Amino acid sequence: MEAGGSREREARNYLEKHRIMELLKYLTSVLLFIRPEKPREYLIAILEKLRIAKATGVAFPFFMDHSNITAMFDMMDSSKKGTISFVQYKEALKTLGLCPADEVLKDDGHAITLDKFKSEVNKRTQEIWSAF
Amino acid sequence: MDATTAPHHIPPEMSQYGEENHIFEIMQNMLEQLLIHQPKDPILFMINHLQLDNDNVPKIVILGPPASGKTTIAMWLCKHLNSNLLTVENLIAKEFSSLAAAARKHYQINKRVPSMQLVRLIQDRVSEDDCVRRGWILDGIPETREQALMIQTVGITPRHVIVLSAPDTVLIERNLGKRIDPQTGEIYHTTFDWPSESEIQDRLIVPVGISELETAGKLLEYHRNIVRIFPSYPKILKVISADQPCVDVFYQALTYVQTNHRSNAPFTPRVLLCGPMGSGKSLQAALLAQKYSLVNVCCGQLLKEAVADKSKFGEVIQPFFEKDMAVPDSLIMKVLSERLNQQDCIQKGWVLHGFPRDLDQALMMDSLGYKPNRVFFLNVPFDSVLERLTLRRTDPITGERYHLMYKPPPTTEIQDRLLQNPKDAEEHVKFKMDLFYRNAAELEEFYGQALTINGDQDPYTVFEYIESGIINPLPQKVP
Repeated sequence: MEAGGSREREARNYLEKHRIMELLKYLTSVLLFIRPEKPREYLIAILEKLRIAKATGVAFPFFMDHSNITAMFDMMDSSKKGTISFVQYKEALKTLGLCPADEVLKDDGHAITLDKFKSEVNKRTQEIWSAF
Repeated sequence: MDATTAPHHIPPEMSQYGEENHIFEIMQNMLEQLLIHQPKDPILFMINHLQLDNDNVPKIVILGPPASGKTTIAMWLCKHLNSNLLTVENLIAKEFSSLAAAARKHYQINKRVPSMQLVRLIQDRVSEDDCVRRGWILDGIPETREQALMIQTVGITPRHVIVLSAPDTVLIERNLGKRIDPQTGEIYHTTFDWPSESEIQDRLIVPVGISELETAGKLLEYHRNIVRIFPSYPKILKVISADQPCVDVFYQALTYVQTNHRSNAPFTPRVLLCGPMGSGKSLQAALLAQKYSLVNVCCGQLLKEAVADKSKFGEVIQPFFEKDMAVPDSLIMKVLSERLNQQDCIQKGWVLHGFPRDLDQALMMDSLGYKPNRVFFLNVPFDSVLERLTLRRTDPITGERYHLMYKPPPTTEIQDRLLQNPKDAEEHVKFKMDLFYRNAAELEEFYGQALTINGDQDPYTVFEYIESGIINPLPQKVP
């Protein structure tokens, strides 16, 4: 049915435009990680904070702050070379939910350093959050 | 192997939390509302939606032929669930609305309201505060497939649809006895539902349009339309027979609307089977483990395995076995914890039977964090248990197990050499049953959400009951 098809497309576009799925994934992860006594109130609090952050332009308290990113990097860089391989980098981005499974990342031949990793994670998180 | 390539183990606390707080359902409902309304500012919309907290309010549609009793059922449900009743009559009776006034005019001339106007009226009513907070029950709407689709298009979706059905002859008969109380609007019947107060009896009037011919005409139209409404509500529709006392119909309807539908939420079953000796716990556990790949944890078996393996627990347990004394609770708990903490139990879920047997054990298990999410009590009368257990025999030469009634040995030669396990002797069985029933009441109270099943049936029937208990969400109680 044509009418059904176009409404479905509308709905999908809506989801993409506002990055609803990423937001819901993030909210669910936070809930399962923090496990607050009152999930609804906690969700409302996060959403309020997000609104304020958007309105005032202040950076939003992301799930992963700098110490977390460094810790994650260190876990992957077990031999303490200071760099991680491209495969590890791609897996890490997928685990953080910052990279859809079918995206193709360029492998420029150099190993990924901590700074590059940090900046890439921040850049992608910023991209997602700026849509809200 | 580093953290990126090794598989991630999701801690069990997360899935327990998710199940208890219905996180999946909260998110699913929020997404549904977002897609229906597609607000420009999703975050504000989500905040408002969460604050309303109306995911579980009743949203019911009741359909049925004339004289099936749907208005009565709808009114009773409304009172019981403290919700709002929406009928064609009370929608068009609305004051201060030009839409309602136009609908009234139309109704007076043609005896029906055009679908477009009706759906607009419903839309306005449903968005009012009391419907948002306490839910709504639609009585006799939608009347046609066209209306059903229109209601769906504006975003009104019921969670339960009840269709009453009865043979036409019964309905025509019934309709002849219909009487209405003009003051309260309640419907009575000369044979089935006669009011007890004489003052109500005196004011009852005969409604128009209840002659046999008129009822038959209305029934024809109803049948034509209802068949095409069924496909609009595939998974949430339930047909209840109206050809029974109204209290029974009401009871069935109420039970149905209080059940939630199966959701796609991830669910790891942690099942506890309780019941006296001989109720079939081991058999059901084995069937469940086989079908759903759960880990079958039998407490007695675990202890015996520990002794046989001569593990460190086994050596401590062995003297108790030798002296035929009960193993202390703390020791059992340690062996059980070791088993339940293993990765396969956490990932696949488990079926536990043989433990806990009394309140202390249950409390201990609960405090250590092993909370089952489905508990079943298998009820079997004493005589059946005796029959099942005292007729068990074993063949000492082949090791084959027989039952003199259900699985008799094929030849008399085998029958002569069969032996009975002393644990299956009548006095011992009686003793164990008494022990169980002494503790059962406390256990049932502790596991408030437990389901009781009649274990006195063939194994596959019992298995089906257990299965539906696991797969369907636990019924919610009316606050």
